[in-house]
Amino acid sequence: MVAIFARSTYLQYVALFQWATIRGYVGYKVLLPVTQILFFVQLGVFGSGRSKALYFALGNALQVTAQAGIYGVIATVANERQHGTLPMLLASPANRLVTFLSRAAVNVIDGIVTVVVGLSITVVVFGLDLRHANLLLLAFCVVLISMTTAGLGLLFGALGLITRDAITIANVVYYLLLVLCGINFPISRLPLLLQWVAWATPLSHGVELTRGLVLGTLAIPQAALHIAVLLVYVVAGAALTLPLLRRRLVK
Amino acid sequence: MRLRVVSPFAVLAWLFFPAIFTVVGLYVLSGPGTATPQLAYAILGGGLLGYWDIAYLDGGMSIQNERWSGTLEQIFAVPTPLWVIILGKVCGSLLWGLLSFLPTIAIAYLGFHALLPHVDAARFTISFAILSLSFLAVAVMLTPLFTLWRWALPMLNGFEMGFYILCGFMFPVTLLPTWAQGAGALLAPTWAIRAIYASTTNQGPHDFGIWWGATVGLTVIYVIGALFLYRLIERRARISGGLALA
Repeated sequence: MVAIFARSTYLQYVALFQWATIRGYVGYKVLLPVTQILFFVQLGVFGSGRSKALYFALGNALQVTAQAGIYGVIATVANERQHGTLPMLLASPANRLVTFLSRAAVNVIDGIVTVVVGLSITVVVFGLDLRHANLLLLAFCVVLISMTTAGLGLLFGALGLITRDAITIANVVYYLLLVLCGINFPISRLPLLLQWVAWATPLSHGVELTRGLVLGTLAIPQAALHIAVLLVYVVAGAALTLPLLRRRLVK
Repeated sequence: MRLRVVSPFAVLAWLFFPAIFTVVGLYVLSGPGTATPQLAYAILGGGLLGYWDIAYLDGGMSIQNERWSGTLEQIFAVPTPLWVIILGKVCGSLLWGLLSFLPTIAIAYLGFHALLPHVDAARFTISFAILSLSFLAVAVMLTPLFTLWRWALPMLNGFEMGFYILCGFMFPVTLLPTWAQGAGALLAPTWAIRAIYASTTNQGPHDFGIWWGATVGLTVIYVIGALFLYRLIERRARISGGLALA
């Protein structure tokens, strides 16, 4: 089973991703996330001063995981439809669980790599000080957030099986997260109703957790609570998504 | 224009993306005691981004769609010159892009009660017209790249936010490192955007003549570059007999 999963993951990478070429990779996986982080950090520095650069760098680096997890996962489903291969995929005897999870796995790995590259460049460009940060915990948070956002991507990817505009959905979800999840300003500044929506997303907990751990502003019980919520998202996401995918595929 | 009305992505481009950037900009730049010049970047920034995005990528994407639909060779072979077809597409994009200012100004006013306190209407209008001219030239110059090189799409798409930074759409370019300011100075919109923001405040330098001159000068250079690229496309197409890059 593990061998099939690994082989499927590799084949998904080789066959499906537009960034599998060097130029595609540079464009979509280096230029886009890095310039996105730099843009918002510079915007934050303009608004709040240079001392707040790390706050914006962390938030936007984590938002980039959503780019892989949500865009990437939804796009793999949407591309099957656009390329006309979705009926063949549905008719094939391949294990659908393995097929779709292996696509998500590529995006989880990709999200982690993108965060490392993006954050490293931002640290160098803005001269950020990460000496007092707990890098191991930061790495753990990045992995956890990548997995939860990929879970969210799978959930919306299931919608890609019934609509032609899955990429539109991906764009809407991705950019709404930019506003809702405390990436560039505290969630407490949002209207109350939107605050509730914000705390229902895994990225909000991930951003709060990571910032708190790196900047040292979060107590252990609060951190444990955020981690618990994220783990619940991973389990609940898988439990909800797989039946939804199965039902859509059978229909 | 009629094709765009039925495209969900075109609606995202003029309505959703500019609105999101405006909301983020207003939250980040409109805290208690925020200076007025900062607020101008938040109010106008989202609209300018949307306008630029549509001008910058929409013409190129329309060429890419022609390629994916297998119709690129046909539009190249019709009696109408390719640059005229592309100019039409880009003009349509620019008109569509102007809609970006509707949601952003509405959000700023209705959601955040934010208004531009001082606008020098004449200078603002001239700066905006020159900005539109520079967008037109950039789009006309970049669009042929989509017919020449398959990798133009990921590269230009990937560097979209790089242009936001270098052109100073939502913050002054003077905040950037010197090398980045140098790169931004080579882009025509940088100077026009500087003029637009200067027309919304009494503070800072007001060298409109220099900024307008720099924009127009660079725009002329872009047009010359575009002429060269269109000739290159025609030459390559006649040699290879196709534009599909398959």
